[in-house]
Amino acid sequence: MKEELSHTESLKIINEMISEAKNSFDKNGSFYFLLWGWVIMIANLSHYILDKYTSYEYPFVVWLITIPAIVATIWYSIKLKSKAQSQSHLTRLYGEVWIGVGISIILSLIFMSKINFNHTAIIMMSAGMGTYLSGRMLKFKPLVFGAIALWLSSLICFTLPMTEQHLVASIGILAGYLIPGYLLKSMEK
Amino acid sequence: MKDLTPLDPLLHSQLRLAIVSLLMSLDSAEFTFLKEKTGATAGNISVQLDKLSTAGYIEITKSFKGKKPLTTCKITKVGLTAFEDYVKALKNYIE
Repeated sequence: MKEELSHTESLKIINEMISEAKNSFDKNGSFYFLLWGWVIMIANLSHYILDKYTSYEYPFVVWLITIPAIVATIWYSIKLKSKAQSQSHLTRLYGEVWIGVGISIILSLIFMSKINFNHTAIIMMSAGMGTYLSGRMLKFKPLVFGAIALWLSSLICFTLPMTEQHLVASIGILAGYLIPGYLLKSMEK
Repeated sequence: MKDLTPLDPLLHSQLRLAIVSLLMSLDSAEFTFLKEKTGATAGNISVQLDKLSTAGYIEITKSFKGKKPLTTCKITKVGLTAFEDYVKALKNYIE
């Protein structure tokens, strides 16, 4: 490889390499939106139906479905990380945002009695923030609109009793996670 | 007339500049990724990575991926500043 470089050659190398790095941004974000979209929508709907139309005492057991989803999320991200030959700043940041959202959700669940059992509204609000930032980072508008749907459902949840909050949340998740998630998946192909 | 600062000799080399430009835009990259993107030989990349690491421009971490050895590279703050200075100096030459 020759060592003498002209100034324009230097610029060309810089430009070429930066665009090569840009192209290596991994495209697997839709998996998480689809997995969590289905899990949270099914759990919210089941909770609503059990609570509203049956006399079953423990409707909250449906949330146990989130345990295999957590395992699947960890397994998938480890698999992706071991496959990737490079990690972009954006990919790292993307993961950090959702870790932050996860921590906020766990805190709202721990203190649900202190927040008057409005945890569903808080969860929708946190999910809205994560979706908004993801949409801005990926420059993907449907996720931004999805975030607005999640924030709107949070706003409505705050005005409703706990049981109805589950129905609103399942619609919010459909609009905020699943629809943009499928649109994102079609873009990744 | 503009004061022309000399270009950093460590960066003013085709392969080293390519490596640093790639690492500039990434959080981290594996040796095989750098090899694939630059099209250089493994031996040549190893030598250049050593030079950049000795200068403190990049950080090299050696580990294992399964049973295979894995070399991961990351740009340091020193490397980032050197790259920015190089681009500034280059701009002055071109202007």
